[in-house]
Amino acid sequence: MSVDVINRVLDRSESRSHEDARNRIFRWLLFGASVLGLVVLTLLIADVLWSAYHGLVTFDIDVRQFLTATSSSRPGRAGFAANILASVLLIAMTAVLAFFLAVGCAIYLTEYAADGRLTRLIEANLANLAGVPSIVYGLLVLALIVNDAGLGSVILAGAIALALLIVPIIIVASIEAIRAVPDGVRDGAYAMGSTRWQTIRHVVLPQAMPGIMTGTILALARAIGETAPLIMVGTLFHATRYPVTTDPASWLYAPFADFSAMPTQIYTWTFLAQREFDALAALGIVVLLSVLVLLYAVAGVIRRRYETDGGQSHD
Amino acid sequence: MVQDQASRRSVLTAVGGTLGLSVAGCLGDRARAAEGELSGRIVASGSNTVAPITQIAAEDFEADHRHVTVVVDPQGTGAGFSVFCQAASAVQSASREIYDPEARRCDEHGVSYSRYTVGQDGLAIGVHASNDWCRTITLEELRRMWVFQATDEITHWRDVRDDWPDRRMQLHARDSASGTFDYFTEAITGEVGNVRDDYSATSQTDEIWRAVGENPYAFGWGGVGHFRAQQEAGAALRAVKVESDEDGEFYPPEREYIESGRYSPLARPLYFYLNHAMLGDEPDLIGSFARFFINNQHNLAEEVGFYRTADDVLVANHDRLDRALESVGVDPDALSVDRRDP
Repeated sequence: MSVDVINRVLDRSESRSHEDARNRIFRWLLFGASVLGLVVLTLLIADVLWSAYHGLVTFDIDVRQFLTATSSSRPGRAGFAANILASVLLIAMTAVLAFFLAVGCAIYLTEYAADGRLTRLIEANLANLAGVPSIVYGLLVLALIVNDAGLGSVILAGAIALALLIVPIIIVASIEAIRAVPDGVRDGAYAMGSTRWQTIRHVVLPQAMPGIMTGTILALARAIGETAPLIMVGTLFHATRYPVTTDPASWLYAPFADFSAMPTQIYTWTFLAQREFDALAALGIVVLLSVLVLLYAVAGVIRRRYETDGGQSHD
Repeated sequence: MVQDQASRRSVLTAVGGTLGLSVAGCLGDRARAAEGELSGRIVASGSNTVAPITQIAAEDFEADHRHVTVVVDPQGTGAGFSVFCQAASAVQSASREIYDPEARRCDEHGVSYSRYTVGQDGLAIGVHASNDWCRTITLEELRRMWVFQATDEITHWRDVRDDWPDRRMQLHARDSASGTFDYFTEAITGEVGNVRDDYSATSQTDEIWRAVGENPYAFGWGGVGHFRAQQEAGAALRAVKVESDEDGEFYPPEREYIESGRYSPLARPLYFYLNHAMLGDEPDLIGSFARFFINNQHNLAEEVGFYRTADDVLVANHDRLDRALESVGVDPDALSVDRRDP
């Protein structure tokens, strides 16, 4: 119907073919713009895969050793396993620190806080915080947590820096998700005699959860690739030891273990003179990218699963 | 609901109990490990350039003493000294000597220290392989090229020497955050940080050599280990012979000239500093590591692409460590690691 209207308007214009040409050019420009990002990404990934393959062949790197050994000054012995484990621990701690704080904040801002000037100021500042360069959080944690509080350059300090970095991102995503829950649903819960907390707990949160989870996982995916704040906090030159051992008791000390995560180890490898470390770095990037793709896939699955059955409330 | 809470509480108790037991078990385990042999944690701060030597020393030392962990966490020489001078690290790697303000800071915190020369790094002056005019360069020419006043003045090869081509130079070198930068600017211009501000600066030495290898009119300086590695990887590079301030001859950045001291001033010593207060607290742990480092410094430096010092430098290191041990009241012969002179 509306297309008919537009066509009628276009018919009236004197040079229809001229307009058509402009239309087509504009369409192709937009198409080019959207494809450009994809092309650059493809080139980057192809370059990384090529370097990794080239390194594997040139230096005869054993992939199994790479995935099961710790890093070393001797590139022939170096592996990535301690870094993978450190990154997993780091991201787990970051998730615990960031999730409850961020979701709590989002619930307060959307469900409890009066829509006053203060609330709007806080929300505006959250958007600003989400844009702060990540190294600033690293500097903050270095000064306050690592040095002043004397925690040292440990996994927990890194997790605090990454949590500070992603809390604003999760809050913004959670606020959007919670706001998207229709007011009618809330009113229905109140009409059934629910308290405010019961409404939030059993009606609002279950519906908002796919959005919150997606936001959280995307934020964590950003955190796992972050290098600058971790370098500020301080990481090992080579992760020659695992942050935890097979002894279950050592897991208690995990937050206080020295570490180097995946991106920081890649950083060290790239500036060493021996060429073999460049190949290791390329392999490391492949592993890091695989983890990222995995995280994005999980985010997608969660989103789809909740979208199909999330509409009906539980019970 | 009540049942639910009760079961939750019992689960919590069980988990808490298990955790408590495992903490106790772990502490016991640590205490057992400490008997008879070296154990503990040594923190090494400092230079990114020297870190590979410190790291490989740490790995070999840990292999010999499995209850020792050496944490190598380089921040750069300058940032490392502020950690070291707050007595937060026992060992500090350095690609230059300590500056006066840093030394004062150490004094304020009551940190006394000693310095050990563990190896040498050469700074190569490099050009594109097809460059057939710049085969040698004098220190005066380097100075004129790199002082601050050269900015927008010395822009073409011809500005440096009359018979060189009238083509624009592309300058690549390290950024001001590095000890390498501090060393080069002081050695060439006589003043730390006195440098032209229109060259392309990077923290990645490999980038310098890759860029020089791609442009026939480029000129760069940076670590010789990286230079050789890029050359072997196929970069079109050639090292320029540099005037020696020892005998006035021109030498390339090669092993024999660096180790003999003739490639001067662009061969620089690499150091570690030792914190005496921490040495006094744990003399066997930290003293043994320092002695192990000195015992093996020639091989360690060469294994990661640097150059060895003269033997008498190694012996002087041993003597200095012995004096440091005596100054904190420890018998130098009582360490777990014995002194090994060349």
